[in-house]
Amino acid sequence: MASPMLLKRLLVLPPALRRSFWSSPSRNQQALPEIYDVVCVGGGPAGLSFVSALKVHPATRHLKIALIDSQQLKAARGQDETLFSNRCSSLTPSSVRFLRNIGAWNHIDESRTAPYHVMDVWDGVSGSKIHFNPADDQSFGIADALAMLVPGNRFSGGRKPYTTDASGEIIATMCENTNLTTALLERLRGGDAAKLTTMDSTKVDSIELGPTPESEEALDLSLWPVVTTSQGQIAARLLVGADGANSPVRQFADIPSPGWDYNQHGVVATLDVDQSFSQHDLRTAYQRFLPTGPIALLPLPNKKASLVWSNTVQNASKLKQLAPDAFVAMVNAAFRLLPADIDYMLEHTDPSQLVSEVSWRISNTTASETGMPSTLPQAIGVQNNTAASFPLKMRHASTYTGHRVALVGDAAHTMHPLAGQGLNLGLADAEALAKKIVYGVEHGMDIGSCWCLDGYNSERWAANNAMLGVVDKLQKLYGVSSGPVVWGRTLGLEIVNRLGPLKGALMGAAAGSR
Amino acid sequence: MANPMISRLTALPSGLRVFALRRFSPSILTSTFAPNSQHLAGRRHHGTESSSPNAASSSVNQTEVSHFNTLASEWWDPHGSSRLLHLMNPLRHDFIRQCLRQDASHDPSKKIRYMDIGCGGGIFAESAARLSNTASVTGIDPTPQVFAVAKRHQRTDPYLLEKNPETGEPRLKYLNTSIEGLVDHPKETNFDIISLFEVIEHIQRPSPFLQACLQHLKPGGWLIGSTMARTNTSWFTTKFVAEEVLKMVPRGTHDWNQYIQPEELRSWARTQPDLAASSGTGWHVMGVVYVPGLGWREINGSETWGNYFFAMQKRI
Ligand SMILES: Cc1cc2nc3c(=O)[nH]c(=O)nc-3n(C[C@H](O)[C@H](O)[C@H](O)COP(=O)(O)OP(=O)(O)OC[C@H]3O[C@@H](n4cnc5c(N)ncnc54)[C@H](O)[C@@H]3O)c2cc1C
Repeated sequence: MASPMLLKRLLVLPPALRRSFWSSPSRNQQALPEIYDVVCVGGGPAGLSFVSALKVHPATRHLKIALIDSQQLKAARGQDETLFSNRCSSLTPSSVRFLRNIGAWNHIDESRTAPYHVMDVWDGVSGSKIHFNPADDQSFGIADALAMLVPGNRFSGGRKPYTTDASGEIIATMCENTNLTTALLERLRGGDAAKLTTMDSTKVDSIELGPTPESEEALDLSLWPVVTTSQGQIAARLLVGADGANSPVRQFADIPSPGWDYNQHGVVATLDVDQSFSQHDLRTAYQRFLPTGPIALLPLPNKKASLVWSNTVQNASKLKQLAPDAFVAMVNAAFRLLPADIDYMLEHTDPSQLVSEVSWRISNTTASETGMPSTLPQAIGVQNNTAASFPLKMRHASTYTGHRVALVGDAAHTMHPLAGQGLNLGLADAEALAKKIVYGVEHGMDIGSCWCLDGYNSERWAANNAMLGVVDKLQKLYGVSSGPVVWGRTLGLEIVNRLGPLKGALMGAAAGSR
Repeated sequence: MANPMISRLTALPSGLRVFALRRFSPSILTSTFAPNSQHLAGRRHHGTESSSPNAASSSVNQTEVSHFNTLASEWWDPHGSSRLLHLMNPLRHDFIRQCLRQDASHDPSKKIRYMDIGCGGGIFAESAARLSNTASVTGIDPTPQVFAVAKRHQRTDPYLLEKNPETGEPRLKYLNTSIEGLVDHPKETNFDIISLFEVIEHIQRPSPFLQACLQHLKPGGWLIGSTMARTNTSWFTTKFVAEEVLKMVPRGTHDWNQYIQPEELRSWARTQPDLAASSGTGWHVMGVVYVPGLGWREINGSETWGNYFFAMQKRI
């Protein structure tokens, strides 16, 4: 990046401010908006955990906070233990620790979560694989597992036996997003909810700067963001954008968010699999890198699994239109067949023939050809109405802070789901920002000022940028189906050197991710 | 723009940076003090008794006041010359808290009344007024432009314009006065804490000045400040580098001969009948250094060559 420092300076005052100097002196006559210490737009995982973190700390509990979301914020956790949402995230141990610290983890329905202890990741083209088990090295995380995909990295051996002292060995815990947001909402309601105003089903219509003051002595809110909703206007000492990838707060602050689209969609679904995991099994997450994008099978309780399959836009839309049994056949094919066969089946096989075609080809493909792990479960069904897809893109805001503005979660960064890190980074943002605000309050800072917020930006921007870079490079590296890059992937030639800095970044990010 | 300055500055070793802290807060300085023989012991041993032969009538250096005015607008620019002061501000609160924690006579449930002398643009005064255990803050500064900067900035924070609901007093008020001028404000006395941040190095005759401050302190209250030791390093960083090499601050901003060593301050404090500075709990000093990449840090022993905080308690 050219220079985040420079951008940061430019953005100390959002350029939107400059506009206000030219416009609308006519607002003078209006009544002043109601004033809040913190206005958080967005009640997703990032926003809810941020507000919870402020509400549990003695120094920030008294802050007057407004939480705005266009959706209804209500308990939405599934009750039926045979049905699981298709929006699941793997929470790293450091995310779980944060959720425990803010008292939200108690409210999680743990019977609907599934920790996993092993990751099997393999290259669909070369068949080279790593078997990743954190018991090998306590300091490893998901990112390390992926780092091992970088040629030249060590190739791990057999599976370690499960030990009862499992706490340090969990790679991540699969959790439905609704389970998480419900827990956070329950935490917020159960706690001292005084001074928390929740405005849900309330869309932010506009954000502008406050009125120019009427006199030389009067209160001057001309550099305060004022949020207009159907419920009126409120002014924010600190406006937090936890409002997702299309963040209106980021747009107000005029913070650029450069990046690119992968021209891929992530197909998600909740699957039935043929083997169950008992409480004491070592659960494994599987991911195979295919030239069209990675496919991952992540464990859920009760013989269920969560699918995330990144694919071309055309393939994704074809997949979604398949009948359930054909969809399931294609998922099994994607984990088991050679890449050329998979493409052929999607492009040329009549959907009605898919099931038989796949089973014939699978029986004629050996695991040693593809590198398929022997423990890989077989998909046997797909839960109704769970096959869906999302466009995949990479975006990174050039700064997370401006005058009286801070961004957390997807508002600040969007990444490819191949490392399952998006939500974890958002939780880490929420934790870091809340910590800076605690420090600011304890030291009499204006919590909307750069003196309070700068540290948040420097701490999280660099960490997230390292992770985003790694994930993006992996996506590109494994999106290649032939030629030198593949030889390099397999043999660790030449590319090892080229990726030296990448490996360094990976290790750094991993250390922070746990 | 101060930006290139900042980056040049950050390329320098830490010792060289302390200079940017030299605010030009002369404050206080328009006084008409009677001459007082009780100078700080030994503080002129580097010469320049000659600097101000007519100082008998004022503790203020008028040249400093004019330097300060040129920089008044820079108080709140995040990348202006006050940047290091802003960064140091949290440490001021940590130091005050540390003093109060060790003070057995301090009742933590009682809210604190502060007076900030030489408040400048209000960096410390505003922050003190925001703390939950603050009753009120009075900031005084004799320079009209600086007072105007402070007042204007106060208006951008509704909280600071409120009255404290428990006492009915304004949370924060500024007075455009020197300490001597406080005679016109009879209610401005009996403070729990009087602060003097980056002020005494600009005072030509610190002894009468400090005594004047003490009069406004309640028994058991604390006079707390920060300044910089007088060493070859400080001469080099503040006079030579800041003024001559980088030209970041106007020439003549600092009178290095007015810098005071912590030991000199303590010796003076011991001679004051009002102060409880001979005992360990009535006197504190803490040396701080700006460490690149980390910010301000407490460094034991650095008080004799870098910036330092001091605290002296009035007898109960
Ligand atoms: C296919 C896929 C798989 C993924 N898998 C994983 C995974 O395994 N692990 C992981 O960590 N992450 C994963 N992620 C990423 C994760 O889902 C997101 O990072 C996470 O949901 C972001 O949370 P957030 O709170 O920042 O934003 P969101 O969840 O997007 O919340 C934003 C909120 O803001 C509200 N809002 C927006 N605009 C307005 C407005 N104008 N007015 C009022 N409210 C507004 C919205 O209603 C919404 O509630 C995945 C993403 C995808 C697409």
